[in-house]
Order: sequence, then structure tokens, then C-alpha cells
Amino acid sequence: MRFRNNLLGIRIKGVKTFRHNRPLRVMHWVLAPAALSLMASGLYINKPYRNFLFKNMNDARKTHFMAQYFFGLYFLARGYYAIKTRGYRKLFPNSGDIASLPKFSLYELYLNKKQPKYPKYNPLQKLLFIFFAVLFPLQIVTGSALYSTGRLQFLSRPFGGLGNTRTVHYLGAVGLMSLVAGHMYFALTESFSKLKSIFNGYFTPK
Amino acid sequence: MRNLKQICWPGAGGDLSKEKKRLPLIWLGTNTCDGDSISFLNSADPNFMEIVTVLFDFRYLHFVMAAQGDMSTSVLDDTLAQDPGNFILVVEGTVPTRNNGLYCVIGTRGGKPLTALEAVQEFGAAARCVVAAGTCAAFGGPYAAHPNPSESKPVSEVLDRAVINVPGCPVHPAWIAGTLIHLAWYGEPELDDFHRPLIFYGETIHNMCQRRHYFDSGIFAAQPGDPWCTYRIGCKGPVTFADCPSRQWNSEHVSWPVKAGTPCIGCVNPGFPERDMPFFKHLPDVNLPGVTVNANRIGAIAATVTALGIGGHFTAGVLKGRMSKKIRKALHPPGTGFELLETTPAAELLSRIRKALLDKTKE
Ligand code: HEM
Ligand code: SF4
Repeated sequence: MRFRNNLLGIRIKGVKTFRHNRPLRVMHWVLAPAALSLMASGLYINKPYRNFLFKNMNDARKTHFMAQYFFGLYFLARGYYAIKTRGYRKLFPNSGDIASLPKFSLYELYLNKKQPKYPKYNPLQKLLFIFFAVLFPLQIVTGSALYSTGRLQFLSRPFGGLGNTRTVHYLGAVGLMSLVAGHMYFALTESFSKLKSIFNGYFTPK
Repeated sequence: MRNLKQICWPGAGGDLSKEKKRLPLIWLGTNTCDGDSISFLNSADPNFMEIVTVLFDFRYLHFVMAAQGDMSTSVLDDTLAQDPGNFILVVEGTVPTRNNGLYCVIGTRGGKPLTALEAVQEFGAAARCVVAAGTCAAFGGPYAAHPNPSESKPVSEVLDRAVINVPGCPVHPAWIAGTLIHLAWYGEPELDDFHRPLIFYGETIHNMCQRRHYFDSGIFAAQPGDPWCTYRIGCKGPVTFADCPSRQWNSEHVSWPVKAGTPCIGCVNPGFPERDMPFFKHLPDVNLPGVTVNANRIGAIAATVTALGIGGHFTAGVLKGRMSKKIRKALHPPGTGFELLETTPAAELLSRIRKALLDKTKE
């Protein structure tokens, strides 16, 4: 049993504390390159004459179609893992998190100096995970309809046709890109110690 | 290319008169520009003459009736009385439903207006099968576009039975003639998830396009008329199911939009024209409450807002000294002591104690 350093909500400073286990770290590092290449290639597909990152449409589409499998694999694995370990309870906000959201927002808006600490994820992160949990499958469903236009045509029915499906895929991508940009900004600036934990699993509260 | 006659009747060697009994057929025009009728008249092989006199017992086509008034509409009632469950009903156009359908009257019956809604529901219920010819009848088209003052609906939404959709603006003569002939001779053709016959709508334009190699290698037309892939100027080929690239238009097999240098506008799509507009833009406009914005503009706005948000938060962090504090913290060895975690029993207990003390002091 690794030391989680949390006795009913009291944490000792300066002690190496376990944060992310190996399956989670592996999954995260499958997702990150897959999602980033999906975004880059997706933007190219949207405006292919910009000549940015990819040589031509064929390259961009091949990249997109390769990354989509890793993205889908990640989603299945993460979903299975969340259900099997009941990890979704830590991932999504509960009533306590909602109640704590104003306090955390005041800190992030620089209206309160003292940083509220949380057992694992803060309420804003948990809110972000809700958006991910909606947008990931949305991208997979709309993307699959665009990918296999014939066999998976039924997937475009709820959107009212393939054209609408493409618009939804694009808007979903826009939302996802904004959220991922925010996620990366906070991950890089919130705490260097916590940033380390997504690589080696541990952080040290200071 | 073999013509429809040879495909449908290989045994008869193209001699239609040797084939089976002719099915009665009624073609109703509702809210329509009649483009589908005109396109149908251009059917090359079999031609309109053969369709009307040899293939079908073509009873009614509003566009070319020699008779008028009650004399013409009585044909409809006769068909209903003589051939219930046996005739094919083709509807061209959307069906307005506002004010009990008064926004489209297709004739009179017993001195009273016969609305399209009434007619489609009555004949639709009695027909052997119902075919929606053109995008309006199949999916709503321009007449059902926002704000849709006549509350127009596609045929499938005013009937509670299956409808075969044969969209197109206008419908290709071979798509509609082929579907009707298939119905008469072989029964219902295989349909896709939008109830379109797979023989004509089974593949995207993009996957059959002659300019596809330009798409893959990234050579794009900058304006209509350029001989390259028209993706950049809004081609809807990637999201449009139709066989235009191989079948082609203009009395069949002559040319089609991309070959003529203009992008496909996706005229067979559900949501056409609204969800395909502007035609020369890659993505359509999106109706948000109060405003209409292009999807790509939404992307640009989201990027700007995100950049401003992150930039603002970062700048404030630097100005308020939080960033430098974080860097100092990262460089120094950790301190000692305890920290209290929110949303935990300890935090809950502390807040209760605090509240109790506060109440005490108030008293
Ligand atoms: C992080 C997730 C994803 C992002 C950000 C993303 C982004 C995009 C964007 C921006 C486009 C261009 C849309 C346009 O303007 O035409 C696109 C196209 C596409 N995406 Fe994705 N996508 C994601 C996931 C997926 C997944 C999971 C799949 C497949 C299951 C997929 C399949 C496709 C396909 C087939 C296209 C159309 C490509 C073409 O036109 O040839 N995408 N994507
Ligand atoms: S012209 Fe249109 S249909 Fe043809 S390859 Fe380009 S995008 Fe696809």
C-alpha cells in the first residue's frame, strides 16, 4: 500500500505522497500525443491550404486516422478502469465539490490569497472532467460517422445528416481545444511538484 | 454505359412493352418550384413518353395535365376508388401544416379547397408505396428552412408510414425514374439510414470524384473555374451521398458541378440549403439564439477568448506575485507542518467548530 498521506483530510507537508498509479499514467500518456495530433491534423483538415505542420491533406488525414485509434483505445480503457475501480467517484464533482467551487474560484480570481487544497482533484478540474466525459465520446461518435461514411451512417442520423455531423465534430473540437489549452496552462503553472506526479506518480506537498 | 432499360429488363432486350402490368401512378406537387417535374421530363432512357405510356399507368402529374379544375382532380378520386393499395404516390415538395395546411392548395374538391396536407395524408394512406421526389419532399428543403412561416414538413413527417426519399435539388431524372421502375418491377430498393435508395446514394461524391487526387495532394481551387479540388471554396462532396460524379447530369452523363468547376453544394442533404450555406464556405453558418455565425468564426472567437483568458490569468499571476511565489516554492526544500484538505471530514469538522464558535460569540 503506497502512502497516500491523507488522514480524514489532514496531510503532512514535506512527505513524498502517492498521486497517480501506473495504469493512469500510461493511459494519460497515450491520450496526450493522440489528442494533440488529432487537434493539429484536425485543424489542418479544416483549412488545408495553410501549409502548417503537414505537407498535404493525405498526411494530415493519415495522422488523424492513426491517432483516432489510440484516442478510442484510451477512451475504452479509461472508461473500463473508471468503472472497475469506481474511480469515477473521484473524477467527477460531488455536492462537497460544488459547495467548495466558490471558494476555489475566489482563489483563482486572485480575490483570496490562501490556496484551498483538495485530496486529489480540485472542483474546477472535476468540472473539466465532466466536459471531457461528454466531448470525448461525442468526438468519437461524430468522427466515426465521418470516417466510415457508409457502414456507420446510422451514427449521423441523430445529428441530421453527415454535414451537420461534421459541423458538430468541428465545434466539439473547438470546445475540446479550448479546454485542453486551459488544462495544460494550469498543469504547467499550478505546482511543479504535482506536474512531476504525472510522470513518476509521486508529489511532495510543500 | 448501359441504359436503365437494359439494366432493369435484361431479358426483354430493352423492349418495355413486353413486360408486366403497368402500375397506376399519381404525382402530386405540393410546395414546390416544380424543378423535380422538369428534371423528370428530361429523363433520357427511358424517356418521359415511355414512362407515361409504357411503364406506368401515369394518372396524374400536376405539371403536365391537359385537363384542369374538377376534371383534372377527379382523376385522383377515381384512382382512390378503383385502385386502393395498388397505386404509387409520388410527392414533390414540402407539406405546409399551418392553418390546417391552407398554405398550399392543390385543387378543389366539391367546390372546397383541397389542401396538400389533406391530399398527401389521404392518398398516402391508400397508396401501395410513397415516394418523396426531391429534397423538399424528402427532407424539407428551402420551404421548411428557418423561420419556416408555413410550418412546412417533409412528407415522412405528415404520414405514419415509411416513405422512400429520393432527394436532389432537383432530383436527377435517373434517380427518380430508376426508383419508380425498381418499385414497379422488383419492389422496394435497398435503402440507407435516411431511406434513400442505395443504388443512387450509396457513396459520397468525394469518394468518387475525378478531382480526388488533387484533394489528397493538397492542390485546391482558389475560385470557381479553377481546375482543381474545390474543397477550399466550400465543396460539400465529403458529406454528400450521391452518384453525380459517375452518373453526371445534362440529359445524363455529360457533366456535373465539380467537372464544371463549381463546388458541390450538397443539394441532396437533409438540412439543405440552410445547413450547407454559405455554399462557398467550408463549414456552414450556425444559428445561435439571436445571432447567426459561421462555424469557423466560432472557432476563431473561442481561440481568442481562450488566449485572452489564459494570458490574463498568467499576467495577473505575475503581477500579484503568485507566479514568483510558486517558482520559489518549487526551488526550495519543502517545509514542515500539516495542511487541511477541503471536502473531507476534517474540513467539515473544522467548519462546524468555527460556526459553533461564531454563534457563541454572537450570543
Ligand atoms: C481530440 C479529438 C478530436 C479532435 C480535436 C478532432 C478534430 C477534427 C477537426 C477539427 C476536423 C476537421 C473538420 C472539418 O472542418 O472538416 C476533423 C475531421 C475529422 N475527424 Fe476528428 N477530431 C477528434 C477526434 C476524432 C476521432 C476520435 C475520430 C474517429 C473516430 C475522428 C475522425 C475524423 C474524420 C473522419 C474527419 C474528417 C476527415 C476528412 O474530411 O477527411 N476525429 N477532426
Ligand atoms: S472537388 Fe469536392 S468532391 Fe471532389 S475531391 Fe474535392 S472536395 Fe472532394
